[in-house]
Amino acid sequence: MSALKLHYQLHAIWRTEPGWRGHLRSVNHSDMGKRFIVAAFVFFAIGGVLAMLIRAQLATPRSAFVGPEVYNQLFTMHGSIMMFLFAIPMFEGLTMYLLPKMLGSRDLALPRLSALGWWCYLFGGTIIIVAMLAGVAPDAGWFLYPPLSGKTYTPGINSDVWLLGITFVEISAMCAAIEITVTILKLRAAGMSLDKMPIFAWYMLATAGMMVFGFPPLILGSILLEVERAFGWPFYTPELGGSPLLWQHLFWLFGHPEVYIIFLPAAGAVSTILPVMARTRLLAHGAIVAAIMALAFLSFGLWVHHMFTTGIPHMALGFFSAASALVAVPTAVQVFAWIGTLWQGRPDLKLPMLYLIGFFIVFVIGGLTGVMLAMVPFDAQAHDTAFVTAHLHYVLVGGFVFPMLAAAYYWLPHITGRERVLQVGEAAFWLIFIGFNMTFFLMHLTGLLGMPRRIDTYPEEMGWTWLNLLSSVGAFLQAFGFALVVIDVLLQIRLGRMHRRNPWRATTLEWAMPIPSPTYNFASLPVVASRDPLADDPDLGVALARGDGLLANGRSGWRETIAVDMTSGTPEHVAILPGNSWWPILTAAMLGGFFLAMLAGLYVVAPVFVVAVVGLGWCWAWSNGIRIDVGPVPIGNGLSLPTSFEAVRTTGWWGSVFALCASATLFTALIFGYVFLWTIAPNWPPPALIAPSLAGPLLGVAGAAAAVVGSRSGRRTLGLAGQLAIVAAMVWLLAAAPSPSSHAYGATSAMLAAYAIFHAALAAIMYAFLIARARAGFHSQARDGETRIVRLWSDHAAGAGIAVIALLALPGWLA
Amino acid sequence: MRVLLRLSAGLIGWTVAFCLIYALHGLGCAGAWDASRFRWAMLVAWGISIAATLGVALWLTRRRRTGLDRAAAALGWVGLAATIITFIPIAIVPACA
Ligand SMILES: [Cu+2]
Repeated sequence: MSALKLHYQLHAIWRTEPGWRGHLRSVNHSDMGKRFIVAAFVFFAIGGVLAMLIRAQLATPRSAFVGPEVYNQLFTMHGSIMMFLFAIPMFEGLTMYLLPKMLGSRDLALPRLSALGWWCYLFGGTIIIVAMLAGVAPDAGWFLYPPLSGKTYTPGINSDVWLLGITFVEISAMCAAIEITVTILKLRAAGMSLDKMPIFAWYMLATAGMMVFGFPPLILGSILLEVERAFGWPFYTPELGGSPLLWQHLFWLFGHPEVYIIFLPAAGAVSTILPVMARTRLLAHGAIVAAIMALAFLSFGLWVHHMFTTGIPHMALGFFSAASALVAVPTAVQVFAWIGTLWQGRPDLKLPMLYLIGFFIVFVIGGLTGVMLAMVPFDAQAHDTAFVTAHLHYVLVGGFVFPMLAAAYYWLPHITGRERVLQVGEAAFWLIFIGFNMTFFLMHLTGLLGMPRRIDTYPEEMGWTWLNLLSSVGAFLQAFGFALVVIDVLLQIRLGRMHRRNPWRATTLEWAMPIPSPTYNFASLPVVASRDPLADDPDLGVALARGDGLLANGRSGWRETIAVDMTSGTPEHVAILPGNSWWPILTAAMLGGFFLAMLAGLYVVAPVFVVAVVGLGWCWAWSNGIRIDVGPVPIGNGLSLPTSFEAVRTTGWWGSVFALCASATLFTALIFGYVFLWTIAPNWPPPALIAPSLAGPLLGVAGAAAAVVGSRSGRRTLGLAGQLAIVAAMVWLLAAAPSPSSHAYGATSAMLAAYAIFHAALAAIMYAFLIARARAGFHSQARDGETRIVRLWSDHAAGAGIAVIALLALPGWLA
Repeated sequence: MRVLLRLSAGLIGWTVAFCLIYALHGLGCAGAWDASRFRWAMLVAWGISIAATLGVALWLTRRRRTGLDRAAAALGWVGLAATIITFIPIAIVPACA
């Protein structure tokens, strides 16, 4: 087949439809990646405008520019937008765009899931911004501590906007985390064993893993706070056995890993770009992989260092201090590896390199002030002053924004296919670099002079006037710099000359394709033998375009790519990926309806949207699959592999595994909350416990057993009945429990039961789906992938059911 | 999956130790356990954790064929070091003050 004919065939299969249909239905990873990046930048601009307003307010003493109510919304929204609507989606977008290309795949593992994530992000972000324009933005700080954020002190919907909007956006983060993990583990080039994987993939594997375990505590905390606000269940109210400290634990259990979730992708970009700029290879690959893994784990052991002044015993504080100190070691390992890489290479001062130098300087200063703050006596002085604000901006802007700008300039030719024009980018760099340091270096000094954070105005006599004015001038310089970056990018798209392939002479696979990349990335898929495929064969891209690699055909109109064995990278099956679809946007719209109904307090309407989501999910799942056995198909090189219709462990199976990991983490956090309140909160034990009975628990245990047997023996009706029995047992137990609004005991018990009911009901629906699918001819001896997936969910529901029964029934029996 | 588990094994050891010891500490202080017995319980928990992570580190060190195996072994020792360092306060700080 000629290269051109191959291109036309593949394009017809993979293309995004023209016009509005394409915008609404596309699931292609390049589209999703670009949309995430553009949207994240728009939110960055909005967050930046808020920062400008803050600086305008603080530029002069006794400013009457905005009042305290508006000012509180300004800094809350600035922080929330930059964290949740800019930083996370920005690296998700970059990763979605790059990862399949770097790994030698044609798309992400679960394309429709990333489309769902995109719409949830867009709708959730829009809700938050619209609320801000309507003047009801969250105003209790980006960490939303109760009781300030509770019903008593924030009676309006401001806190609800944060809780519901951010949780809606978190759905997209969870989708991305699952998507990225499965893609890295399964959809790689043939021969790409784990140790031949590009270093960026290691960083993203760790990041996505951290998201799977880091976000659920925040999601749980938000659900509990929203339920408390909406229905009066007292999770955080001490008079009724709750505790505001529970929120702090759940929030920082997410919040500290979050810092590394943001830093790791940026560090991944540094580790990828730096060796190319220094015309050498990355030093100490193994040590960096070890450092990444160490960071991913250790960063979970520090959350309490945000709660040092909450009266936690000193010994526990000591644990967290020690872990906080430890986490500096892997960071240092990376920095030394980067310096060594620069040392052994011949650095080329191109624009991405300039931003990397900016990153080094700013990030190191941020690290040093971090060490200053880790000294307890110094922290006692600087706590809650502008010094801390300055420190965190050095870390976050240094550790994220500068590397992302380097990444932008490094990968822009890939996206636009064009060269830069003029030297606008260099001018923008200097404006941003000088403006940033002017703003925030001076803020260290203002902080040392005693200026607190989050104040909206200050009297002249304090002597902070000049420093503040200069900080504000710096902030505006920086804003001009970012505006220049936008102008530079637009100029490049409009006027840039077409670029040759691989302009930086990089060695990773994303440059083994024409730029801008075709929708299917590779006309045929590479077989790799080392970590630097393009160094082994600089003409690899041409050979692949000619069809010399694997899967060089457009048979049957399927979107095909190769799934490999996780460790060795040996091809395992041909993954057939789903095409463009309405389901993601429709599902996201119904989820949006649910969140809006909750926001409006229409608690009767909200369940209607849940039913709609379930119905859409059913149709969505129904649209997959096939009614005939396909058998092994040839992939080239004389090899044949089964398709994912007949594979044992599909990407969908692995996606379910990680989704359940996330859900199990949320469940564990909920159990932690239950035990935490029981041991730490005031006003316990509760006035009444769940009355001991035998029938309810027995029914539940029998149901769980039936579900386990049913899922293993293929008796779907038995599995369905078992799951329904678990639901019934939970209702039984709840009927015997004290009212959820009377005491935190009743509230947490109800929440535990709700978790079990949710999963059992979901598993029951899945069994019903299986029964219908088997009747419709979608199953055969070979095609039993759906059964395997349902077994995972059914087993999890059974296990959760038994755990909840034990947690609810035991206290009553023991008392 | 096995390689990933080996890479994580040392640090999973530390994570489990961290959760158990932090929980033990919380329960002990909340339940106002007898001070000296509580201190011993904490020391024993720490000792068991060190022994367990040491075992993991030794087990990982026996197999060093590929670069990732060596990284896994190094991470095993990191897990042990983290388990020793993080809980030093048990030896030197009063438990519930
Ligand atoms: Cu922290």
